[in-house]
Amino acid sequence: MANEILEDQIGGEYKYGFVTDIEADNAPKGLNEDIIRFISKKKNEPEWMLEYRLKAFRYWLTLEEPRWAHVSYTKPNFQDIIYYSAPKPKVQLNSLDEVDPELLKTFEKLGISIEEQKRLSGVESRIAVDIVMDSVSVKTTFKETLSEKGIIFCSFGEAVQEHPELIKKYMGSVVPYTDNFYAALNSAVFTDGSFCYIPKGVRCPMELSTYFRINASGTGQFERTLIIADEGGYVSYLEGCTAPMRDENQLHAAVVEIVTHKNAEVKYSTVQNWYPGDKEGKGGIFNFVTKRGICLEDNSKISWTQVETGSAVTWKYPSVILKGDNSVGEFYSVAVTNNYQQADTGTKMMHLGKNTRSTIISKGISAGFSNNSYRGLVRIAKGASNARNFSQCDSLLMGDKCGAHTFPYIEIKDKSAVVEHEATTSKIGEDQLFYCKQRGIDNEKAIGLIVNGYCKEVLNKLPMEFAVEAQKLLAVSLEGSVG
Amino acid sequence: MEIITKTNITKDKLIAEFESSKNSLFGDLKLREAAAEAFSKQGIPNRKSEEYKYVNVELLLKGDHSFSSSKKLSSQQIGSTQFLKDAIVIVIENGVYNKEHSRINPLPQGLQIFNIAEANSNETFQKHFSKYSDIKSDPFIALNGALASGGVFIHVAKSAVIVTPVHIIHITSVSEATILNSRNLVVVDENAQLKIVESYEIIDSSVKCFNNALTEIAVEVNAIVDHYKIQNEKEFGNLISTTQVLQKKQSHFSTHTFTLSGSFVRNNLNMVLDDQFIESHLNGLYLTNGTQVVDNHTLVDHRKPNCNSNELYKGIIEDKSSATFNGKIYVRKDAQKTNAFQSNKNILLSDDGTINTKPQLEIYADDVKCSHGTSTGKLDADKIFYLRARGLSEISAKKLLMHAFASEVVDTVKIEALREYIEAEISKRFE
Repeated sequence: MANEILEDQIGGEYKYGFVTDIEADNAPKGLNEDIIRFISKKKNEPEWMLEYRLKAFRYWLTLEEPRWAHVSYTKPNFQDIIYYSAPKPKVQLNSLDEVDPELLKTFEKLGISIEEQKRLSGVESRIAVDIVMDSVSVKTTFKETLSEKGIIFCSFGEAVQEHPELIKKYMGSVVPYTDNFYAALNSAVFTDGSFCYIPKGVRCPMELSTYFRINASGTGQFERTLIIADEGGYVSYLEGCTAPMRDENQLHAAVVEIVTHKNAEVKYSTVQNWYPGDKEGKGGIFNFVTKRGICLEDNSKISWTQVETGSAVTWKYPSVILKGDNSVGEFYSVAVTNNYQQADTGTKMMHLGKNTRSTIISKGISAGFSNNSYRGLVRIAKGASNARNFSQCDSLLMGDKCGAHTFPYIEIKDKSAVVEHEATTSKIGEDQLFYCKQRGIDNEKAIGLIVNGYCKEVLNKLPMEFAVEAQKLLAVSLEGSVG
Repeated sequence: MEIITKTNITKDKLIAEFESSKNSLFGDLKLREAAAEAFSKQGIPNRKSEEYKYVNVELLLKGDHSFSSSKKLSSQQIGSTQFLKDAIVIVIENGVYNKEHSRINPLPQGLQIFNIAEANSNETFQKHFSKYSDIKSDPFIALNGALASGGVFIHVAKSAVIVTPVHIIHITSVSEATILNSRNLVVVDENAQLKIVESYEIIDSSVKCFNNALTEIAVEVNAIVDHYKIQNEKEFGNLISTTQVLQKKQSHFSTHTFTLSGSFVRNNLNMVLDDQFIESHLNGLYLTNGTQVVDNHTLVDHRKPNCNSNELYKGIIEDKSSATFNGKIYVRKDAQKTNAFQSNKNILLSDDGTINTKPQLEIYADDVKCSHGTSTGKLDADKIFYLRARGLSEISAKKLLMHAFASEVVDTVKIEALREYIEAEISKRFE
């Protein structure tokens, strides 16, 4: 009975599948050293940056594509991707009036009207947005307000030009180009991204946000985000992503690095809604992302919150290296898969410092024919005394054709560590549905209600504006999906 | 590069041994050749193999080995390993069934014991032998398939209830480094019942010994089987112990693995629940010290609806030892109404010890209740304080708590004499 209701509802449509008709400046397809030189030249980069890219590329050539994740897909043809696509005309933009109106329309469709936010600025919801389209940053808002406080928030390309000392010091310090296949690829071909630096003792007054969108066909998106919070700094950072509907699989291989110094805190929230492919599993984004933060010094904190509803294949493990004493790592995740989506996601918590704590809450929801895996590692190194970890990963199955899996790895080398892990798998109870229906709530709303309740622990961690969006997104993903 | 070369040497050595001895080995040569080929394809797992990630098997197989031992044990020596006074005793000496030392007369009605090397003409044997362990799934299953030297085939006839436990003692006694491959098959027919204890001991040896033991158990409709493994091979024992179980409708199987000593112990416990209304219990206790490495891998494959499985593994880790637990539960598409529970609890007592645990669920059916939990910690300071406030010394308070921790598993042992033996062994360990 419940299954029928669920199946009836499978069929939710992707609502961000429009293509914006903006002329783009593309590199030719394919990948070789010339393409990398081309990208570097386009970005007007200094010599050391090009050297870094080439080193990464040469290393990448020695690697094989990883296959260990619990997902199956056809290997992307790395020679069939456009590695650079910039929306034209690309000029230095000072005010919104100069932005291509087509682009503005795109943002309106995305539901992030910059104009509106500008109007609201200084009133209540204040978010500074950096928008990255086809891997080139097109607009950063509120730059002036932020710079008064000494906060640097700009595109990665700009940071390379204007703050080379910071980039040199921190880039690759958390995710070196030797880290993995896609990190190496990204280090070689990344085109842009966001950069954020919070100086000593500054609490960022507003949420910082990056919006990623793949627009042009046949392109891959390779952006890089670097966030540094110096002593006592604090920032809450949001990331959102969408892409048009296309039959082909597009590749998104990003790298995010976070560094926190003494007493600093970074909160990173993602609502990932790349195009998941159609109901037959055709098309959709391959989302292969390396995200890692390091609590470099004492008493620092990194918190990851993610709501994953999109992408055909997701392969992502936002991690925290707890190096400083008393540092804290958190990971809150909701991953929804529907139709033929596949997700293999989780986290790594590496406890190195003393008295370090980590919390992992992961909620997986699978519907349709999808497969959803949690894969996580908790490692307590020798000497990381009094480390504490609590992990909980729950799975909710909707329908009998999907799968939910957990692969937790726990490695402990210190006797004072206390580590707990719990996992459950279940489905929406008929009695829960019955209860709602009896009170006049229709099936779809009832399922939405139950799922939102199930995810509440994670959704509560999102900043206000995102929480609302995430709840809607869950409802949309589950409408027609199962949920 | 060096490691790869070495691996090949070891692998080639094992394959060469098969080629030279294959005509003198018992049983179906075709089966053995297929197994040898499967082994050759898989090779010896290294640290990059997901299933052998935490143990270095390559290292154990390095160097020169012989594949049998002519060393004979006295009946007194063998007697020292018979800790169950009231049991049917089967002695497997250096990988070969030793009938003289076994205590099998008279056998209760319905129970038959054969030397596996002479069982090939038996119809039941043919029906079940090598049908459950998949040579492609693990290189050591394949290696055993190629090189199996001996063991027993135990058959319990329809509706026979065997009250006396059957105790299989694997005794190893060697004078040079040896690789042994013993193999047993147990078939428990419809409505029959059996209690079976397998123990592993090494006596009078001072060289490295590697035992790759494989036991296949078929539990037919309505049968009840109670299975125990006691691993106590001391400092020279390196043991890979694979248990492959197939359960039929409404059958009941419980297994208990106690790892008390042994320099290296790897347990592969693979359960296939191939019909409805099956119940399975998997219990394990490992107490490690010194530089011991213990690695427990379990796989519960729920293929059909309405089955229950319940798993409890506990460990106490001391000194520089390391313990791994990897529990997999598969719930296939058809296996609705499955209840599968898994729990792994560890106490780490030293700063140099390591615990790796990976409880893994793969679920493809929606109407199921599955959960796993794992916890690792130290002895509770509050509890120690409570006991000390009542006059116990710190050491005896800790011992008491460790006993209490272990007893949850020990209490599941249904054979009283065995439980007493295990309790005594645990007490010795905590001295």
